[in-house]
Amino acid sequence: MNCRDWEERVALHAGGDLPPAEAAEVERHLRECGGCQVLASGLRESLALLREAHDEPLAAAHFSAVRARVVAELEQERRRGAFWARRWAWSFGLAAAVVASLVMLALRPGRTPERPAPVVAANHPLVIADPEEPPAVPPPHRRVARRVVRPVVPDAPNPEPLIVKLQTDDPNVVIYWIADRKRGE
Amino acid sequence: MERMKALALLATVGPMDGSVDGSEPGETALGAVKAGDLAAFELLMRQYERLVLVTALRLLGTLEDAQDASQEVFLRLYRNLNKVGASGNLAGWLYRVTVNVCHDANRKRRGAAPVEDAGELPAPTADPQRAAIATERRRALEMSLRMLSEKERAVLVLRDLEGLSTEEVARALGTTEATVRSQVSKARVKVRDFLERYFRRRT
Repeated sequence: MNCRDWEERVALHAGGDLPPAEAAEVERHLRECGGCQVLASGLRESLALLREAHDEPLAAAHFSAVRARVVAELEQERRRGAFWARRWAWSFGLAAAVVASLVMLALRPGRTPERPAPVVAANHPLVIADPEEPPAVPPPHRRVARRVVRPVVPDAPNPEPLIVKLQTDDPNVVIYWIADRKRGE
Repeated sequence: MERMKALALLATVGPMDGSVDGSEPGETALGAVKAGDLAAFELLMRQYERLVLVTALRLLGTLEDAQDASQEVFLRLYRNLNKVGASGNLAGWLYRVTVNVCHDANRKRRGAAPVEDAGELPAPTADPQRAAIATERRRALEMSLRMLSEKERAVLVLRDLEGLSTEEVARALGTTEATVRSQVSKARVKVRDFLERYFRRRT
């Protein structure tokens, strides 16, 4: 075994990193090997120099400067945080107000466009269809008569056809049911 | 752990030297800091600032860089108090984060001009010749640390200068004890070889 193999253990021994058994082995070798003795003393010397150089205390001002910088940074962060929190609160409040206004506008009664009232049929001249034809049957969809508004009975002496106005769901569609009237009715 | 506490206590000379108390902060103190009490955080910083700034100075070599790194470490501490409090080993966490922040700083400045500053500490002597020798020696020592790889330097600083045990170094660096032993022995031999060559050339 040459001294190169001892280098790591001698370096560990110089820093006190070896367990007692290994340390004793290294010390035994050091007693016999001049080269490793030089290495060991050089290692101890350089370690001592390093420790001595780094043992000198730092001035208090260097520490307080760091502290002041950290505290200033944290205070600035806190101010920035508060500013953004306020800004978010304002933005959120504004957005909520806008949404509430829109909802109220949408739900306000009377805002839906009013449909024009159906024109009363009696005011218009009637076009009488062929009396022989059966009355028009309203289509099933949206033309189903819901209620009879009122029968329009002409007051002419001659029997006139009975006209019944039927109101549908669609105010623009009015169904007139016209039926022949027997005399005396 | 006990050793870390003892080291921190050794560093306790007074409030102006960079540490107030080396023991781990209590739940009350941490609770106050977590609640956003900046004064309590400042006290916590006083407790650990020596550990952070001195380690950073040893890893980076210049006071300005070390102060920047320390600032970053303490800001990370403030932002991660919940995690740190749960780990229960604030000193170990601070060593780990300090090493990581210094690695980042080294990577950033790699493209920049080489650092010539050999430390901020003035030689404590009035004799100009002795002061010059001390400055020269300090410069050589700083250079010997700088020619190590980042991992070797971190291991050497934590083991030989900060005095952590091999196990604590391994935990702080997220590696194994065998790796720490291997790296620290290589680092010691490199420093010794560098210093020997440097001073032999000078004399």
